[in-house]
Amino acid sequence: MSTPSKFNLSDSTGLQLFSALVIAWMLLFAIPTQAANTPTLKLFPTTVLEDIRHTGSVAKEMESGLQEVISRLDQQQQLIIDSKCEEADDDPGCAQLNKQLGATYLEMLNIMESNLPTMEQAVETTRKSLAKRLRKELGNGMTPWTLQENLLGGQSGKQAAQTRPSLRGRSGMRLSDRFSQYYKLVSNSSSSQGSSMAVIASDIYLDMEETADLIARTRQEISRATLMGQLNQSFGVITPEMQEVVSGVKAILFGDPESEMPIAAPPTTADSTAYQSPLSL
Amino acid sequence: MNSTKALISAALFATVSFTAGCDTQPVKANACIPPQGYDLDVAVSQSKSDLSDVCSFQFDAYLERLMNIAESDPKPANKEKFSEFLLWSNQAGLLSKQQAKSIYNRYFNVKYVSLMGDYNNCSLTCPKQQEVLANMERELLDKERGLVKISRDTSSYQRADRLLKETELVLEATCTACGAN
Repeated sequence: MSTPSKFNLSDSTGLQLFSALVIAWMLLFAIPTQAANTPTLKLFPTTVLEDIRHTGSVAKEMESGLQEVISRLDQQQQLIIDSKCEEADDDPGCAQLNKQLGATYLEMLNIMESNLPTMEQAVETTRKSLAKRLRKELGNGMTPWTLQENLLGGQSGKQAAQTRPSLRGRSGMRLSDRFSQYYKLVSNSSSSQGSSMAVIASDIYLDMEETADLIARTRQEISRATLMGQLNQSFGVITPEMQEVVSGVKAILFGDPESEMPIAAPPTTADSTAYQSPLSL
Repeated sequence: MNSTKALISAALFATVSFTAGCDTQPVKANACIPPQGYDLDVAVSQSKSDLSDVCSFQFDAYLERLMNIAESDPKPANKEKFSEFLLWSNQAGLLSKQQAKSIYNRYFNVKYVSLMGDYNNCSLTCPKQQEVLANMERELLDKERGLVKISRDTSSYQRADRLLKETELVLEATCTACGAN
């Protein structure tokens, strides 16, 4: 009695078909697995992009309303300094200048008061949506090691590193221009540039934190100034607190050229012929 | 009488043998002096010879000396020499594979061994964010030594420097976001 063959012709064809399917299946899943080594960051979905664009528009409206009054405030303050009014409290001319300065300061606060709620809402929305993405993608979705691999652009991300956009930092330009630049950077960049996206997202988020803080302080100052105005009808000499608010508003809206600093210029690309140790991580 | 002579001879022989046996030990102890000179290849060769014998406990001193010698003649090829030396150290049982990797990457790679871990950033890195960054700053000094002073690889050093700055920014934002639940 002969032992029956394990496979007849039809079994063999079935095996070949099965093998082909297995190979196809493996190929199908091998490609995404390779790509998964350099994870794609989803830091800027459409909703976040729209939030950034909207915040830029709101900032532009606020700037145009404030530009003239802040410029007047600067001129009046300079006039007080030039007239040496700080040492002449009893001089009627100086008293008049101080009163004008106080009135302009109130005017600035009033303009801000009418614009701030919209601005605050826009900033808060952008801040929250970015926080959510950062937490999900970089905070919970990455280990420290994958984070630095991502910042370096992965092992094979040299081409991406060469095309990284540069970011000029959080200060040194108008708030609306900053948002316009952020929007362009983010909307024009492909998802392959995940590393620089992490830096840009972090930069915008920290910018939002600072802006939100300034808005909160400014709103407090408006309340205080309104109370003072009701009590005194005049501010007299501009106080250090008032000066701080004016400086803060100017810095965040119109930029502070002295603190310009590039944050994320593209790094030098490593030489592809450089020695690679078997110990390299 | 003869037996007395034989006894004395045996005692003398034993004493001489014992003294001669003691002689070899101080020579070995004195040999555990890290190599001198300025030729890295010769120094590596001598180090391997010493370390594979009784001087293994002096590994750190030998490595430090080799680095000093390499600093006197910085060139890209030094990176490979240190890689080979560390691999040999692992094979000779002086270092674990992990220790060899850690030393090599601390000095000669752009990536930071101070920024490692198996858990996510919110739970692992953020609670000790300042400590991690301080460790990275210290590691950058070692990278300056390995990449610039030993290997003359300034572009890699600049990448490491920029990576630290970017990590600082990204961690500040990410950790703030992690805490903003």
